[in-house]
Amino acid sequence: MTTAPVTNPQPRGAQRPRTIRFRIERCDGPGKPARWEAFDVPVEPGANVISCLQWIAANPVTIEGKRTTPVVWDSGCLEEVCGACTMRVNGRVRQSCTALIENLLAAGVTEVTLQPMSKFPVVRDLFVDRQRFFNDLKRAKAWVPIDGTYNLGAGPREKPADQAERYVLSTCMTCGCCLDACPQYKKEEDAKEWDQSFVGAAVISQVRLFNEHPTGAALKPERLDFMASIGGVSDCGNAQNCVKVCPKEIPLTESIAAIGRAVSIHRIKQFFGVRD
Amino acid sequence: MTSASAPPKGNFLDRNHYLLRRLHSLTGVVPIGVFLIVHLVTNSSVVWGLLAHGDKGHAGVETFQHEVNFIHSLPALLLIEVFGLWLPIAFHSVLGVYYAMTARPNNKDYPYQDNWRYTLQRISGYVGVLFIFYHVATLRWGWTFLVPGGTQWTAEHAASTLAMALRGHETDVTLAGLMVAAFYMAGVSLLVFHLANGLWTAAITWGVTVSAAAQRRWGHVCLLIGAGLMLAAWSAVIGFMTLDPAEARQVELRMLAPESAPGTDP
Repeated sequence: MTTAPVTNPQPRGAQRPRTIRFRIERCDGPGKPARWEAFDVPVEPGANVISCLQWIAANPVTIEGKRTTPVVWDSGCLEEVCGACTMRVNGRVRQSCTALIENLLAAGVTEVTLQPMSKFPVVRDLFVDRQRFFNDLKRAKAWVPIDGTYNLGAGPREKPADQAERYVLSTCMTCGCCLDACPQYKKEEDAKEWDQSFVGAAVISQVRLFNEHPTGAALKPERLDFMASIGGVSDCGNAQNCVKVCPKEIPLTESIAAIGRAVSIHRIKQFFGVRD
Repeated sequence: MTSASAPPKGNFLDRNHYLLRRLHSLTGVVPIGVFLIVHLVTNSSVVWGLLAHGDKGHAGVETFQHEVNFIHSLPALLLIEVFGLWLPIAFHSVLGVYYAMTARPNNKDYPYQDNWRYTLQRISGYVGVLFIFYHVATLRWGWTFLVPGGTQWTAEHAASTLAMALRGHETDVTLAGLMVAAFYMAGVSLLVFHLANGLWTAAITWGVTVSAAAQRRWGHVCLLIGAGLMLAAWSAVIGFMTLDPAEARQVELRMLAPESAPGTDP
């Protein structure tokens, strides 16, 4: 067979000459210019974007035959529960571990473009720094306050219905898909701008999760003050991309409406001097 | 003392961020949204007046003139205009443009219907501001140099002067008239969309519709409201566009004539 490119050796599956082209937006580090490189990767059964990236790491040769550095990406669990491998696959943000090549091909894709998430600073290639996201969760006090100097005893009794409502909110893995797809969530190069910029759906949903927790509700007034400030829930533009790209199918738009309602009531109570 | 939150920092806009956002949402519904509904129902009377009373003596023109006369009989009309309309519209427009400038539309990668409405809401806002300014400046403030044919709209000849301003000529429709009429068609259509979609998002903003099912149901109601208003808006523009100004003026003159003088038919 002369069709196989000489510069792109196929280590396995010679009887399976089918390859898929990957176009990858690369960047050598913060502040460095982005560039595109393309790779032909043999399609193996059950392949996903991560396994293809592993193949490229082992064979870092572009379609022009130029030897390059292995593409850097971030990943952890490889089963869509950690959110680390989130990137843009063909323009759409998602976890690369569950981006199965067979499914992409079935959807009529002939090329796979990989880009880093668009709203976070790139560390290198497909690896981004989501520190701002975690910082916003801290600002939201997204925790149950139980630390202290004495034993608080058993928590309040839970109704199964309340627990069930909160369960789906608790499945958020801070992947950031909802932020990347949000037309109101802005990329901030300067960390000084973080507290002026919209926090996005995931943080708002976490505020709802911990406000609805019987013990977590102790911090509800502070969380709602945070939600009423600049960058809070009122900066949502109702494009509702968040709920459509969420891999955990968290009802993010319901959380946004619920927090919008809670903040309105909170502010009206504050106006009339009623304690929340 | 409970959880004393730090006083908000920054400039006036930042310190009152939430209040301004909510006032922006509120003014869009009341008074601006309510006014738009009344305005479109009034102006489409040139068509529904005709349908209700038949063609005898141009019932459409008569009904419309009757509605305009009622509005102009309101006490302190200028005060109502300034505080009920111009200031709320200016507030909603200025803040709306400021907020819309924070948008980073991404419809190519996320071509969902909701996302298209998000982008269209902002585009319709921008165009709506231009359209309302042109509309009020030409017809209310008398900037006739921007009117094709230079007609001055008057409340006594509401239908005929409006038809002139849309047509550009008494017996003919000029190119400039056609362009203005097309701008009206686009302007009112976008504003009706802006209101219908704004009613849908306002319900989420204020937390009236929390569940996705409630948002969907309210969306259907907003669609119906929008469709009804669109019908009114289009019939108003087309109604005045196709009106014969000379005939309309005769109807208006007849209505202006003192009723206590029988036999003095003008």
